[in-house]
Amino acid sequence: MMDATLISWVLAGIPLLGVLASLPFMADPGRLKWSSVVWALISLASIGGFAGRLEAPPEGLLPLCLLPAAAAISILGQPVHEPYRRSWVLTLLFLGLGLSALSSPPPFSLLSLTLLLGLIAGLVYRHHSALWPRSWWGIGAYALGALCAALSAIAEAPLSAVASLLACAVLLPLVPFHDGHLTALTRLPGSLPSFIVVLLPVIGLHGLGAAMTTVPDTVAWTVSFFALVGASYGALKALAQSRVRLLLAYGSLSFFSILWWFTVASRAVTPRSALLVGTVGLATSGLLVAWQVVRTRYGDDVDPQSISGLASGMPQYAVLLSLLALAAMGLPPFGVFAGFMGLLLSSPFPSLAGLFVTLLAWLAASWYIMHMVQRLLFGVRRPELRYTDLLHAEFASLLIVVLVLLALGLAPTTLFASEGTPFLTATGESPTWTR
Amino acid sequence: MTLVLLVPLLLLAAACIVLSSRGDSEHARMRLAAYPVGAAFLGAAATLYVVTTDGPVSIRFYNLSSVASFAIPIGFYVDRLSAVMMTLITGVSVIIYNYSIGYMYQDRHARRYLAMICLTDFVLICMVSSANLMMLFLFWQILSYLLYLLAHNHAHAGTLAGAFKTFTLLRVADTAFLAGITLTYHLYGTLEFQELFVRAADTPVTLSLWPGTDISGATAVTLLFFVGAMGKSAQFPIHLWLPGSLFAPTPVHALLHAGIINAGGFLINRLAPLFGQSSTTLHVAFLIGTLTAILGASMMLAQNDIKKTLGFSTIGQMGYMIMECGLGAFALAVFHLIAHGLFKATVFLNCGNVIHKARLEPHFPHVDDQTEERRLSRLTWFTGFVTTLFIPLLILLITHGVLRIPLLESQGTVIFLFFIWITSSQAILTLTRLRQVASWKVSAAMLVTLLFIVFVYLFAVESFTEFLYPNSEEVASYFGMAALPDWLFDLMIVTATVLTVAGWSYVYMSAHGMSLRMPPWIDRLRIRLYLPFMNRLYADEIYMLTGQTIMRLAHQLDKRERGWSR
Repeated sequence: MMDATLISWVLAGIPLLGVLASLPFMADPGRLKWSSVVWALISLASIGGFAGRLEAPPEGLLPLCLLPAAAAISILGQPVHEPYRRSWVLTLLFLGLGLSALSSPPPFSLLSLTLLLGLIAGLVYRHHSALWPRSWWGIGAYALGALCAALSAIAEAPLSAVASLLACAVLLPLVPFHDGHLTALTRLPGSLPSFIVVLLPVIGLHGLGAAMTTVPDTVAWTVSFFALVGASYGALKALAQSRVRLLLAYGSLSFFSILWWFTVASRAVTPRSALLVGTVGLATSGLLVAWQVVRTRYGDDVDPQSISGLASGMPQYAVLLSLLALAAMGLPPFGVFAGFMGLLLSSPFPSLAGLFVTLLAWLAASWYIMHMVQRLLFGVRRPELRYTDLLHAEFASLLIVVLVLLALGLAPTTLFASEGTPFLTATGESPTWTR
Repeated sequence: MTLVLLVPLLLLAAACIVLSSRGDSEHARMRLAAYPVGAAFLGAAATLYVVTTDGPVSIRFYNLSSVASFAIPIGFYVDRLSAVMMTLITGVSVIIYNYSIGYMYQDRHARRYLAMICLTDFVLICMVSSANLMMLFLFWQILSYLLYLLAHNHAHAGTLAGAFKTFTLLRVADTAFLAGITLTYHLYGTLEFQELFVRAADTPVTLSLWPGTDISGATAVTLLFFVGAMGKSAQFPIHLWLPGSLFAPTPVHALLHAGIINAGGFLINRLAPLFGQSSTTLHVAFLIGTLTAILGASMMLAQNDIKKTLGFSTIGQMGYMIMECGLGAFALAVFHLIAHGLFKATVFLNCGNVIHKARLEPHFPHVDDQTEERRLSRLTWFTGFVTTLFIPLLILLITHGVLRIPLLESQGTVIFLFFIWITSSQAILTLTRLRQVASWKVSAAMLVTLLFIVFVYLFAVESFTEFLYPNSEEVASYFGMAALPDWLFDLMIVTATVLTVAGWSYVYMSAHGMSLRMPPWIDRLRIRLYLPFMNRLYADEIYMLTGQTIMRLAHQLDKRERGWSR
């Protein structure tokens, strides 16, 4: 029988082995892509195989399962272009480090996390452009995250707790440490943005569970304040964006901030939190892949204003994009709605005003995401554009995202973790309510 | 039990049959799908019979103790209210579906459109037979999105803008509904209807919004649900989506005005025991309903487009329905929505014919015959007088004597009688002005018909109330909770009386060429009011301005930040 530590090494080792096995195909992008997808799927299968023997963290095993699935989807949805080769290999590398950060015992998990954040900071630096001065803030945020992760491994409490919380704020983006998230999603090439939007928040949530139990009330109150600011700020900024990747980055920031608020209120991380984080990440990832489809056909710097009428020219794409948008804006029967409802019903909320802000942020998502979809899909068909519907790999990638989001919306949360004590009523517990 | 599940499944099967059709078989498959739709109606009628004789049917596919762990706690609870709604929806659907097959014949999007109609019916059936608030909310939201899809056309800018407005406004109401669900679960610990009503009645909760401001839990929760209901039932000021969606195909309107828009009334009725605990919410409902009825009817009069006229007529009728709920007459609201639904579906399905006819005949609708006698006969005026002043008295006496309704203790009943009075006055006034009552035979036939309708209506309403709410004490408690302060009630009655009599006098005196000493500002006001009502009180512009302001704020915030926007 293998013990838990060995299993975690195996889980982290498979994608890393995949990196080594894929390197010989670097000259052949087609084979490299399929090799990367296959190794991600092997990683997923291994997690399924070992699921019964793993010790389930408070947030359940859903994050572990989602990571290889997100990696496979992200790579699958990319065109077979030479410039993307490195991103596929890096996706596998990040998957290995991410699985290690999630499943390994403390010193190794923190080392993996430090390495991961350092690598991402380096990558963002490599893709830094003078036209985007704000990306310096992103590099700084990831460097701070890496530093905090390292510090939390070596420092004593309470410094380690604060460092751990800061690392979580970089991973699971929280204002004002959200620049890394924005930079990674807008600047990194290929499959990396669509994978990182799942990977880092899920790792952040894993760390948050432990961090929240030790932070003092004042810090918790401050975090709660920033979470509400982040939810409204993200929604407002998303409303103002014309660039799709920035819109998705701000939109996901808004949803992640909602999660921060609920987590601070309950001081715990539950399988429902993992459901929300995982599905928001996955829905954003799917939309990024969908946007990649447009970029592949109409160029990297394409302005969404100049495209319209995709619904009639690309019906398969239109249906899948619409479904992904529904999922991303938190409509049933998809996972984001399930996660959001799960949190609303199972977590106590300290103030009605806070609840109001979170609901407004949820409402705003219907506005900016629907606006984006309407702009792309509908309107008059443009004669100067050549419409080509989804290729098999793209179709499969987007369909898998939709199906996974649907499955997560319909499945009970007990599927990935045992159900804790259900929150029945806050009456008598909350300071604002009296019988 | 199987019967209850069969009804939505048949509609889903119809959608699948339509979607599976391709090429030559498309029309045949569309016709084939009409059979499951018809079978669903039969199933709904049979369910109504079963529920009436054997009591409510309950099916749950989840564990009651852990609702929160399931995102979608699928379950069905079909009582008399649900069964009536199921029968109405499937009945209207049968007509609309069959009409649509011909209406959309050879249209490129017929397959998508008919499948959407079946899916919308499926969602509506699941919504009205939900076992808990969560499932109801789930289908409520899907309905919002389906409405968006039904109301939009890919390539038409006006339709797209209308569909987007529809979706956005409905989402605003959905958010309030969601807040209501959250608050309900946190206050009472359940989303199951029956359990919720028992807990809310047994353990009254007080919410403190801020120090010194307390509000009862039932009031807070029902106010939020009411905003949710306002959205779907197009209540002022969230009514804009209904006129905005008028570009959609005509059968969609039939379904919308006969089925979908009734969702608000259904929600309030489903939660009647909860609404019946909050007089504040009932009064707010009465106020909003009255306002919507008045504004909807006024705007309807000033429209110059048949679809818009019908749209605002629906808004006015929905105002009446919500007003009835605000008076505690929940069963009457359901009766009203059924009657209105059937009427409006007929009118919408026929309005294409009217437009078609009008295009063929330049003199359609017919202009007044100039050779006709300009003055109205005495008989005309006599009929008008009898209908407006005599019949109400008769109704009052019969209501008091035969139905034994305690008028003095029930404000709601008095207001309904006033309703009847004002409505019949309005009807007779219109007919009088159109010179349709000049012969004594017509006058007599009309009076007898009107009397018959009024009495049948009264008896039907009374019987329907007993059918939906067999417990008379429960009905009385709703009326009691909805009672207005005496001074306000008296003021409303007096105002309504004065306005009605003054209206009649004005018309009579104008018709007889008598000079009326009207202050000039009244004439000016009439002219000034016409323009805003014709422009729908500029509500669309206000909505657009609000949207633009939010966007401007967002852009300002965006520009203030360094880097990204440059």
